[in-house]
Amino acid sequence: MSGLFASAAVCEPARLSDLGTLLQVLWEFLSLSLFSLGGGNTLLAEYHHLAVSQFCWLSNAQFADLYALAEAAPGPSSMLVGLLGLGASWREGPFWSLLTAYGAEAAILLPSTLVMVLACLSWKRLEHSPWRVAFERGLGPITLGILFAVGLKILRTADTNTPGVLVSLVVCGLMLRTRISPLWFMAVAGVLGGLGVINR
Amino acid sequence: MTEPALAPRPTLPQLFWGMLQVALSSFGGGLSAWSQRIVVEQRRWMTNEQFLTGLTVARLFPGPNQINMAVYIGADFHGLAGALVALAGMLLLPFTLLMALGLAYFQFHTLPAVDRVLAGVVAAAAGMALSMGFKILDQYWNDRVALLLAALVFVALTWWHVRLIPAVLVAGPLAMAWYWPHRSSRP
Repeated sequence: MSGLFASAAVCEPARLSDLGTLLQVLWEFLSLSLFSLGGGNTLLAEYHHLAVSQFCWLSNAQFADLYALAEAAPGPSSMLVGLLGLGASWREGPFWSLLTAYGAEAAILLPSTLVMVLACLSWKRLEHSPWRVAFERGLGPITLGILFAVGLKILRTADTNTPGVLVSLVVCGLMLRTRISPLWFMAVAGVLGGLGVINR
Repeated sequence: MTEPALAPRPTLPQLFWGMLQVALSSFGGGLSAWSQRIVVEQRRWMTNEQFLTGLTVARLFPGPNQINMAVYIGADFHGLAGALVALAGMLLLPFTLLMALGLAYFQFHTLPAVDRVLAGVVAAAAGMALSMGFKILDQYWNDRVALLLAALVFVALTWWHVRLIPAVLVAGPLAMAWYWPHRSSRP
């Protein structure tokens, strides 16, 4: 599956110390913020596009690692954006990395927060408006399509061997059928990785 | 239903500590359940009904649900300032922890042992990502138009390599037009 990305591997990592690049990156995150439907996971494939294909900060494997890290750690999984920021300027040292991380997270959260504040203040009027009804019903199916595309994209990015893909499918099934905490799945799969059963 | 009287409206520092408590309690998941327990039952800032309305708004608008919920709670008491303070309370500590983890990752991920374990964890995480679509598939199962829309969006993103924003900008208005309520529900 990795053949799909082979042609993109030659791109040059975008440096954030260049003001033009920095502004472009901020703009990308600020505008994506308003398109984080269905709780934010809909943006995962876009994050991959930005970090791996467009700005070349991370390899596929690194992106997959960071995604797993954000899922495993406590707190909302949208904090992945902070990790991407960290990776984006890792070459310029830890201080600059952390600054970028906090900046990236602020950029992805600020616009949706402002919209949310406006929504709270005008909810009484919005609640019965046909716009609200159409928005809620119409964007549901779109979210559904995006989530399937995102799932496939992450599976391709993880790019593990056949036992790894089998584990992914089993975990997917267990997530739907049981209420077991996903931390267990990651722990067991981590052991399988350590033993060399799963590799990439 | 007789509910105990609400507590006086929280100050900004109280809001910050309350959200921090939510963030700390929810280590290991169940964030929205914890936020309900703390905000409604323990601190009595909101009635259950107010809280559930908040959850509806948080799910509807763009942004991560739990974060939007913090914004809703903060904005309800102190407008924009309240929203930012609640957000800081909810995020600052988990985010800092995650960044420490991230720094450790970039320092050590090239070690073969670390990489091997991560390869396994990544396979499990990919399974979690894969389950997200299936999780909400049920509710659209009997709606052919919804399935068609979802399939179109999926194909556009996956095979035609359309970016997310243009895809939503084209498909969104079409879907909204289709689902526009027939009887006007304006008060």
